[in-house]
Amino acid sequence: MKVAAVIIVLLFFLIPMLSTIIVGDGTLQGKLQTFASYSLSLMTTLLCILTIAISTWTLSNDVQRKYILLIVTKPISRYQIVLGKILGIIVIDAILLVVFSCVIYGLTVLIPHITDAPEVQVKQAQDEFFTARAGLTQPEDEREIQRRTIEAYNKLRESGQLPQDMTGERAMAELRSQQRMLGRSVPLNSKRIWRFHNVRVTDPKEQLFVRFKYEVAVTGPDDKVHGLWDVGDIRQFEMPPGSWKTPIEQVSRSDSARKMMEIEIPASVIAEDGFVGVVFYNTLNQSTVIIQDVELLYRAGTFTGNYIRVVMLIGLRLAFLAALGVSTSTWLSFPVAFLLTMSIFLVGMISGFVIESIDSLGIVGNLVYTVSIKPLIWMFPRLDGDYNPTRFIVMGRILSWGFLAQVFGIMVCVKAGVLTLLGIWIFSNREIAKVVV
Amino acid sequence: MAVQRSEYAIETVTLTKTFRDWWGRAKVVAVDKLELKIEYNEIYGLLGPNGSGKTTTLKMLLGLLHPTRGAAFLLGGSGRDARVNKRIGYLPEDSYLYRYLTARETLDFYGRIFGLPARVRRSRIDALLEMVGLTGMANRAVGTYSKGMARRIGLAQALINDPELLILDEPTSGMDPIGTRQIKDLLAQLASRGKTILLCSHLLADVEDVCDRIGILYGGKMRVEGTVESLLQHKDGKQIVTGGISAEALGQIRAIIEREKASCQITSPMDRLEEFFIRTVTAAQEQGLATSGAMSTTKIGDFLKEQAIKPSILDQLVAASSHETPSGPPEVDDKLVETKSIEPQADTDLLDRLAAAGVGHHETEIVAPRKTPQAPEPVDLPAPVKRDILEELIGRSDGDGGRTQIVDPDGGGDTPDA
Repeated sequence: MKVAAVIIVLLFFLIPMLSTIIVGDGTLQGKLQTFASYSLSLMTTLLCILTIAISTWTLSNDVQRKYILLIVTKPISRYQIVLGKILGIIVIDAILLVVFSCVIYGLTVLIPHITDAPEVQVKQAQDEFFTARAGLTQPEDEREIQRRTIEAYNKLRESGQLPQDMTGERAMAELRSQQRMLGRSVPLNSKRIWRFHNVRVTDPKEQLFVRFKYEVAVTGPDDKVHGLWDVGDIRQFEMPPGSWKTPIEQVSRSDSARKMMEIEIPASVIAEDGFVGVVFYNTLNQSTVIIQDVELLYRAGTFTGNYIRVVMLIGLRLAFLAALGVSTSTWLSFPVAFLLTMSIFLVGMISGFVIESIDSLGIVGNLVYTVSIKPLIWMFPRLDGDYNPTRFIVMGRILSWGFLAQVFGIMVCVKAGVLTLLGIWIFSNREIAKVVV
Repeated sequence: MAVQRSEYAIETVTLTKTFRDWWGRAKVVAVDKLELKIEYNEIYGLLGPNGSGKTTTLKMLLGLLHPTRGAAFLLGGSGRDARVNKRIGYLPEDSYLYRYLTARETLDFYGRIFGLPARVRRSRIDALLEMVGLTGMANRAVGTYSKGMARRIGLAQALINDPELLILDEPTSGMDPIGTRQIKDLLAQLASRGKTILLCSHLLADVEDVCDRIGILYGGKMRVEGTVESLLQHKDGKQIVTGGISAEALGQIRAIIEREKASCQITSPMDRLEEFFIRTVTAAQEQGLATSGAMSTTKIGDFLKEQAIKPSILDQLVAASSHETPSGPPEVDDKLVETKSIEPQADTDLLDRLAAAGVGHHETEIVAPRKTPQAPEPVDLPAPVKRDILEELIGRSDGDGGRTQIVDPDGGGDTPDA
């Protein structure tokens, strides 16, 4: 398996090289994020390809070269052969994964020490990268948006203003996104409230972060958006100020538009029942402000712990691919099994995109889609989007044990388990010595 | 399903295999209603030209192919049963060994599959490597071996579990004559230890030398089956082998035979090429010439002898397992072992008459000729050649050239060793 040697050498060579040449957006955090993103993706991709290559090669090669004749005539069951192949690959993967993860971890931790970055950037990297934060968002009221969309649509149709070159579906989609933006907009001299429940911080001395992005049509003369924020148990506004149990932090700041921003608040603002309210007042600008992607972040774990879980998530992916590869090679020859497994892997890499695309076509309610394509897509592994391990490290977001257990349950126990059983069944019933031409 | 102690070591019942093409159309009937019955402690030779269904039969026995109809039983069970697999050894038509493992690693790997303890494994691997003459090359990758050397390792792996039943597909293909001879001797020794052997070959000499019973397959059907002796011996013809005798005595013999109204042909016996080759190589080995190939040693039977002398753990295990299941190793039946020897019988009647005619002073043996007279020779090759009757029979010359062979063409047909 020369491909294994090539991949190992490539990784040993490329990962340290990446750590020195990557600059990112010039900030320390940018450099860390870019390095972590590139090196983790590179390692994951190469190990996935290696796993697919070995897993589809090992059993089919034994069959093709007839080594298997001397194995199956020994006192060993065929299911043991299939399981043995899968376990062997998982062990190889585990060793390689641990080695390269340690290299990447070491370099990541080393980067702040070898980079000459200002104090502010080091703090930012500590707060936003070397952490594992949980994020809470307030879901938008989809029913309200739908209601308003239909209302707007009907109004347009009655007045005959529907665009002629658009289908009804397309116009609806356009109106829906308009209404969505409208819901996020805060007109001049008004306010917008976000409510977050069950905010749990391990240590009250920790910090909370309100993350957001401004969108504006026109910015002020200094190219900034001015915001006045209240963060805390805003239900207390109705009570006299002396009886407040938790403080409400008031922040006034100016931020650039179209850029993710974070406001740091002491965690002591969290109400006893875990409630945190965030209020934005649009009083200091000249026009409407749209606020996107508002999220309340808080530290929920350590960087190292999160990194270990991310590596485990990559490991689960490799285990799934090992089972898939060995399972296909129980009945297919090497090149065919390799191409099939590779195709499934690639579809899995874009499965989130595929589902999103189909959903955006507006055929979600279609029965044919629900009974045919959707389960088919479900059978493919989910490897992108929320399941992309790199994202957790780059964004500094926590990968919870619960999520890891869910992936283990669905992708490894159910999907890989079914594939393995299928492979064992095929392998146990096939004529090992049959010559296929 | 418990493995029953069955009447036969190998049994097939209307075993049929039809190979179909992709569309399910029958293309080839490889094996056709085969009824193969092989008893315990028998060496059975399955013969046949290429494509006659030998290998297909073996593969169905071992569960590597599914029979289209009928059934195949090994030691009373299925070839897919792990308990049956524990008691058999299989050498496929090609050795099919992992190329990057060394000989020692290969044997260790298969030993592990049998779950042999490390100590047993080590001692057995050493014995097997020595037996197949590859001790010196034990740490070389098997992929670098010549075909014959790989074959030796293939045979060693088939013996790693000290199997009760050996299934060998072309065991001597690619082997040098010494290796071939060693394997034949090994098979004879295994049989004497009570093993059952199914040998599949188209090298007729190999089969003839070692097998008790042979069957000839053609077109997937059994054409002839029987003991080697019953199939090959001509009861009506006679063959006389003598030491150096005078022309006068020859004349008298010829006269006697002519009185019997039988035709007569007189030649000097020739060495078989096999004997000649083995002598040459043995001489080279004794001079200590270097070789990177397989070393042929005299220690062919060490692996077996060692077990015969002290009951090994394996023997104990086998004994223990025979208590668990009714199927023990078959007992060594001296009678059966004897049936293997195909020494021609001396014709005492004719001898008496020759003695009366005054030609009985020389070493003389009169036997019924066989198409290729060749008897199993005890193998202790580099040892001094034993001048016994058996060797005289196969016409071994040690340089005096004074022996004469008399053949009755009416009875024998072919001239032996010519």
